[in-house]
Amino acid sequence: MITLNRACTRARGCQHLLIARRRLSQSALDRLAQPVQSYISTSRDPYLNLSVEHYLLQKSAPESTVLFLYVNRPSIIIGRNQNPWLEVNLALLDPVPQSQPKTEPAGLENVDLVRRRSGGGTVFHDEGNVNWTVICPPKAFTRDKHAEMVVRALRSCGVERSRVNERHDIVLDQGERIADVDPDDTHLTPYTRRAGISEIKPLKVSGSAYKLTRQRALHHGTCLLSSPNLNIIPDYLHSPAKPHITARGVESVSSPVGNIVLSNEHFTNAVRSKFDGMYRSPKGTEHIEVGEDWLEHQAVKEGYAELKSREWTFLQTPQFTISTSADPAFTMDVELTVRNGAVSSGHLRRRGSAELVDLDKHSVGQRVHDIKSWPETLSHMFAGVDSAECGRLGAWFERMLPAQATRRRIAE
Amino acid sequence: MRRRRAALEKKYTEDHEWIDISSPESASIGISTYAAKALGDVVYVELPTVDTEVNKGDAIGAVESVKSASDIMTPVGGTIIEVNSVLEEKPGTINKSPEGDGWLAKIKVTDTTELEGLMDAEAYRAFTEEVEDK
Repeated sequence: MITLNRACTRARGCQHLLIARRRLSQSALDRLAQPVQSYISTSRDPYLNLSVEHYLLQKSAPESTVLFLYVNRPSIIIGRNQNPWLEVNLALLDPVPQSQPKTEPAGLENVDLVRRRSGGGTVFHDEGNVNWTVICPPKAFTRDKHAEMVVRALRSCGVERSRVNERHDIVLDQGERIADVDPDDTHLTPYTRRAGISEIKPLKVSGSAYKLTRQRALHHGTCLLSSPNLNIIPDYLHSPAKPHITARGVESVSSPVGNIVLSNEHFTNAVRSKFDGMYRSPKGTEHIEVGEDWLEHQAVKEGYAELKSREWTFLQTPQFTISTSADPAFTMDVELTVRNGAVSSGHLRRRGSAELVDLDKHSVGQRVHDIKSWPETLSHMFAGVDSAECGRLGAWFERMLPAQATRRRIAE
Repeated sequence: MRRRRAALEKKYTEDHEWIDISSPESASIGISTYAAKALGDVVYVELPTVDTEVNKGDAIGAVESVKSASDIMTPVGGTIIEVNSVLEEKPGTINKSPEGDGWLAKIKVTDTTELEGLMDAEAYRAFTEEVEDK
């Protein structure tokens, strides 16, 4: 189970290590040309896993079909065109500073925030969730094909309530058995309720998203097997800023979720088996382990750096406007428009007055994720506002668009 | 008469993009009706930046629909001189009028010989029918 690179770091001498790296790169290149490829990650790093996935999308042979399975440590993954301030409770994400005494946390420490390259909404990943990716030629692509494959895998593990729904997600039908259905139909189970019958909502266990390039089609999805965090996920995915933001881009569609209750190993073996059945290659498909050693590929390393960057995470945000006008607590309204993650315009107006104070031109271009103190920033943004008012407004903006220095832990 | 003239001005790629070649100094680019239907409801459009120099086949933007981020490629090389900012506020314009108001960008074509390899409306129609039959 140890990758070639890890074995060599324990060996004596750099020479051995260099040869091992070269060998790994060459065989990796050969594999990318194979008509059927299957990979599984040993890393829990979401930035690495998504970079490897993107590398496979860009470098695998155009006619090939590729499976990639990976598990991430606790992280929130937003879609390509989403707004992190709107979708995520950013104040919960900061790690507990080492110097502070530990209190009993209600939630998790160190949850990563990652913007992926495919579309769709926001999901929470942890070790009880397995991610699956299939990359194929555009001619062979449909939005349901590989969700159906995963449903067949789940059913082979005894999960007979699973089916693909109209949004290309995988759900578990709830309630009693209603009717016999064609067992080969992956869009229907014996528990599926028809429209009109008193509704018990199915539980979503897998969400899908896609990335379509000129030569390749990528479909990836989650699979909630045994997450220990279901009860706190809603806290992370509920942003206090939501009622106060008007945004372009893509909003998440919320669904009730549940665990399938299956081991990661059982699931990954079943998916591999169904994949092998669909794409039987003459030699049989070798399932290759992928780890941190893949950072040696320049393209993976560059993709990793980009995904980790605050520029990618925050500056890719579609235009939005935030306003205090819905909050009755203030005597003045402040509105800011943020374009490409930086303040582009804004104004302040005392309630009851028609007079507008425009955003100071020196504040145009202020990156929201770089703001260290909202009261100070507001005092620069708008002339003639006293420090007490800047303090009050600043505290509000701090709650809505948390600044670097002053995030709170959940326990406080 | 007018419709026939419009058909002559547009050329198409196998990736389902169109380019209006009536003025190569400022040629509109977009995606075909066929592509817009296949994409589904467009909810977000990522437009290129003005003054960007591109080669034929480069991704010049992307469109999101049904949880899919789809690259849009340029049919020819050149410089982007204008983008359709209406799409920032109303991305659905691509679905309503993919070959009209839903144009994505205007490009100053560098090498007009690249236009020669593209399909005319008739050839593109035949191409899409062939794709459907497969």
